[in-house]
Amino acid sequence: MIEVKHLSKTYTTFERGHTLREVVKTLVHRPMKEIRAVDDISFTIEQGEMVAFLGPNGAGKSTTLKMLTGVLHPSAGEVTCLGLVPWKQRRQYVRRVGAVFGQKSQLIWDIPPSDAFYMNKAIYGVPDKEYNETLDELVELLQVGDIMRKPTRQLSLGERMKCEFIMAMLHRPELVFLDEPTIGLDMIAKESIRSFIRRMNERKITFILTTHDLEDVELLAERVMVINHGKIVVDDALSGLRSRLGAKKSVRLTTEQPVPDELPPGLRLLQRSGPLELELEIDTDVLPLKPFISHFNESYGILDMAIEALPIEAVMKQLYTTDHAKEHA
Amino acid sequence: MKELLACWAAVIRVKLAEQMAYRSHFALSVLLLVIGDLVVPLVTLLVYRSGASFPGWSLHEALLVQAVFVLAKGIAFPFFFGMIGTTLSQVREGTFDLLLLRPRPAMLMAMLLGFDPEDFGRLLSGAVLFGFALSGVVVPHWTSWLQFALLFIASIAILCAMSLFLSGLLFRWVGSSRVFDIFDAMTGFGMYPGTIFSKTMQNILTYVLPIGLIAFVPASALLGRSGWGSLWALGSAALLMLVGIWYWNRMLKNYTSAGG
Repeated sequence: MIEVKHLSKTYTTFERGHTLREVVKTLVHRPMKEIRAVDDISFTIEQGEMVAFLGPNGAGKSTTLKMLTGVLHPSAGEVTCLGLVPWKQRRQYVRRVGAVFGQKSQLIWDIPPSDAFYMNKAIYGVPDKEYNETLDELVELLQVGDIMRKPTRQLSLGERMKCEFIMAMLHRPELVFLDEPTIGLDMIAKESIRSFIRRMNERKITFILTTHDLEDVELLAERVMVINHGKIVVDDALSGLRSRLGAKKSVRLTTEQPVPDELPPGLRLLQRSGPLELELEIDTDVLPLKPFISHFNESYGILDMAIEALPIEAVMKQLYTTDHAKEHA
Repeated sequence: MKELLACWAAVIRVKLAEQMAYRSHFALSVLLLVIGDLVVPLVTLLVYRSGASFPGWSLHEALLVQAVFVLAKGIAFPFFFGMIGTTLSQVREGTFDLLLLRPRPAMLMAMLLGFDPEDFGRLLSGAVLFGFALSGVVVPHWTSWLQFALLFIASIAILCAMSLFLSGLLFRWVGSSRVFDIFDAMTGFGMYPGTIFSKTMQNILTYVLPIGLIAFVPASALLGRSGWGSLWALGSAALLMLVGIWYWNRMLKNYTSAGG
């Protein structure tokens, strides 16, 4: 469905300092700087996949996404999505594609979402019958029937985001790009949006998601691509991503005796929430669980214990910092 | 074509609905545009009342040039000039991405989404002024009306081309709202009969910056002052329009979006 080969994007930007002298200097000469936002990446995505693009700010995720949507022309490389080249056959392509941007609204601020939907219907040339059927279904799924005729500016962020999804799905796209779709939403709204995405994905609609909300990734994505410094540093299933960093787990403990800061090899203190409560990271390759539990029970007396997979945040943090360290080595 | 018209009708409907959300703002904007467009004709009226005049032009003839200018803006502004504002804000914010995600030509989408019903106020002031100016001149012959109709189309095409040039500039001069001042400075001369300027200036305003073709040439045709030869302006307008389209599409390639 999506085939990307040696994709690169370089752009030039100007830079200046913040002093008055530097500001005045830029009136005459602006030093240009070349930025390689995306650096020779290749991957394929199959129909019906739900893929998350992750990476720190400025890593190249959004630029990659913009090239995949046909908004930006690449500097080099090839992309075929749905059998089309996005930036060359843009109009044909975007007819089959949807997009939701958490920070860029497609709705019209002063008028109800239903008017914006109507405009999109005309722009996409969706027949009346198909439009009515799709709209009814989406309204039902997202439970937004009572807000459709309220001006957009009077809607809550969660309600607006649901309407953004309707806007993006009205023309029944086969491929949907989601850029931070749950940003700023409360837990209820997040859950509702995630459940909607899952329902749509069950219909073999492909989703490509970029987010900093790792809960979105854990609950939605089957596959994760981590981009850093314009390169794909990981392309794996979520479980595979976790196992890349070794057999590490998170252990939350409540003990009878305080545990000292000095810990045996294989253990790392993550946080201390009280004198007798702490969270540890355990590398079970170095210190298997059985000797760890018996040692801690004998030495400090375990009152309560919870062992969990390492949170994805910790995995990502480690991945970003490792990559950053390699870059500066 | 049918789909395009439906698309256009839907956008106009939505844009009108958007304006109706703030009716007093809409009414005030229309009123201010009407008043603003009538300032130069009122000054012209005062000039003539004081005994001065544009040499070779009666008051109503001079007002006809200005009326044609305002009428042309009354059509070009709502339909084409909104794209300058759309480009100005959306390129700077990076929301032009959303426009490129629509399955229609980007230029058409920029024009459609820039449609501004407020600017129809200019059409109203132009129509009133046109009626007043015509009431004081000899009733034009039908051939003059035909020439005028064709040249008026050329006038709209020239204004459309100008909007394409100014909008295109904004892909490179990101966020430069001074493009509106460029337009005002360039077209200010178009409100007056071309013959009041020196020969060199007349040539510049006709052949280099075709400002004279917006109002002076069509109004002259309606007054029977020029023959069929003035229809060369049609070719000139068509050429300018083609160059405008080419330029806009070329400048679109400079679009770099904004950080994500």
